[in-house]
Amino acid sequence: MALALVANLSFAYPGGHEALRGVSLELEPGEVVALLGPSGGGKSTLLRALAGLVPHFHGGRFAGRVEVGGLDTRRVRPADLAGTVATLFQDPEDQVVFTRVAAEVQFGLENLGTPPARIVARAEEALASVGALHLAERPVAELSGGELQRVCLASTLALRPRLLLLDEPTSQLDPDGAAAAIELARESGAAVVVSEQRPERVLEAADRVLFLAGGMLLDDAPDAWLPREAVTPDAEPRGEPTCRLEAVSFAYGSVPVVKARSLAVGRGEVVALVGPNGSGKTTIAKLAAGLLEPQAGRVVRAGRACYLSQDPGRYLVRERADEEVALAVGGDLARARAALAQVGLLGFDDRHPRDLSSGERERLALAAVLVAEPDLLVLDEPTRGVDPPRKDELAALLRSQAPGRATLVVTNDLVFACEVADRCISTAAREAVVA
Amino acid sequence: MSPAPAALLLAGLAAAALLADRIVSVAAIAAVLLVVCLRAPADRRRLYLVGAFGSGLAVFVLTPFVSQIGYHVLWSGPTVPVFGTLDVTREELRIGLFQGLRLTAVALAFAAYALLLDHDRLVQAAGFARRSVLAVALATRLVPTLERDAAGLGEALRGRGVEVTGVRGRATLLGPLLAGSLERALNLAEAMEARGYGRPGATRAPRPGWTALDKAAVTLGVAAIAIGALWL
Repeated sequence: MALALVANLSFAYPGGHEALRGVSLELEPGEVVALLGPSGGGKSTLLRALAGLVPHFHGGRFAGRVEVGGLDTRRVRPADLAGTVATLFQDPEDQVVFTRVAAEVQFGLENLGTPPARIVARAEEALASVGALHLAERPVAELSGGELQRVCLASTLALRPRLLLLDEPTSQLDPDGAAAAIELARESGAAVVVSEQRPERVLEAADRVLFLAGGMLLDDAPDAWLPREAVTPDAEPRGEPTCRLEAVSFAYGSVPVVKARSLAVGRGEVVALVGPNGSGKTTIAKLAAGLLEPQAGRVVRAGRACYLSQDPGRYLVRERADEEVALAVGGDLARARAALAQVGLLGFDDRHPRDLSSGERERLALAAVLVAEPDLLVLDEPTRGVDPPRKDELAALLRSQAPGRATLVVTNDLVFACEVADRCISTAAREAVVA
Repeated sequence: MSPAPAALLLAGLAAAALLADRIVSVAAIAAVLLVVCLRAPADRRRLYLVGAFGSGLAVFVLTPFVSQIGYHVLWSGPTVPVFGTLDVTREELRIGLFQGLRLTAVALAFAAYALLLDHDRLVQAAGFARRSVLAVALATRLVPTLERDAAGLGEALRGRGVEVTGVRGRATLLGPLLAGSLERALNLAEAMEARGYGRPGATRAPRPGWTALDKAAVTLGVAAIAIGALWL
């Protein structure tokens, strides 16, 4: 008997268009399903429907039927489905309730009425399974994005659900961490539905693949979604360095993050900075862009530097897209509109940035730095939450503009790194950083 | 010290500051609370201390102009519609100082609660009204979360070469910060529901019993209220 059943499900958010249209599927116990599809195609909505959050939490027009473990999600509250279902949401920063890691993992267990004597042990077991037991007493505010994602995964695994819903669970993890997380979910014994924008990370572990586009399940995924092999580019450094880090060191408080690192990015080249979580990639990027000053060593830059932060869609300040982009060019709306067109947002001029989808916000933020035509462009995880076709477009855009500037891309997405960069530098091995 | 007794002690001191009717007593309570707050890291306590002393100072400065008390006039100004004749008397200054100190003491008690207590353990220790305690704990986190968001926003803008300076420049960030907070609150509410929050039959992780120091803190908190009401 199927663990979950979705029968002819259609759903529209209040005031919105149909996010799901006639979706039907069955999930068997213990199977792993990869859920692929473009941004805004309905993946997160389908996961929310399986968790009962659609329609209970969001409202909207709901037709069809969803059953999980024999329970009709329209009749059972999401809180009562918890335990049978566990959901890991897209943004780990937005799902943390407590300030300490241990309490955070214990929270779900307490809600489910787990006997008190077993709460601590189960929370520790879940943390250990994701390799985060050493973080138990740490404040969540001090964790890196990757560490936080692992803690949130532990919070869901601790509930020992029968159906595990993972919405881009590896977006902030390095390749090894991502593979471990997917494997862990598979080994949990639960039926697992994983929504992913990096197909190569999940296809190997998946028993089957669903492709959701325009709210409908399709039989085949377009070629752009097929896993691609990453061939590491190995071009020699070239061009006059626009940015040079010379033996720079940086520590947050007493914790050293970057120690005597050197790096050079020349005009005309795209350099990808890759490496494990917590190895200082973002700090190096900020040092390169001038957002941080090195505590030892020096940074030499020529010309204007622009930096696109992780999750940039969170940091939009104006009420119109064109005004947002024009901020960097003294309010020049004509240039702003041209930059919007460049990233595929033609006609979005008067849209409110917060009304855009997360993928559209990311592109808006990209336009907001490209418009300045910087000499050094630093992008921190620019493909987080971006689907493969959009990644291809981004890579093509960065390549087309590469001759006029130096570009440094920090990423955990090795496929993207290999496609966009002239050379990759790893923060894993110290000597490899010296360019 | 466990967080629940510490919270009770701070609440007792804040209540004593509100009940006391001598300036010296309220000032002493504020001084004690200031010493407690100074145990927090300097970069985290700055905002809270500025808020506590800033609000107290505002009350001290404004009170003489909005009240009409006392006969010992120190300064007499123009007559303003609605407010009448603006003057400052010795009695108004005394009341302004007293109310300003009261507000400062209460704000410092809150600062100590926000900066030094482990809110997770406080929520877990709550034997009743757990929802309310959790709501207060989440609200307390709002300040550091807003601080982090503001820093992220400032950094994102600097990354584009846009400098935000002056009061007016920073004021333009308030709207985006508020909108971001609302989005975050919605996402958090959804995640909490998905993790079974609000379901009947919730349990609590075991917590350690109270130590002698904890019991002393509770006794002192209750005593502070009584002393504040009767003698200070």
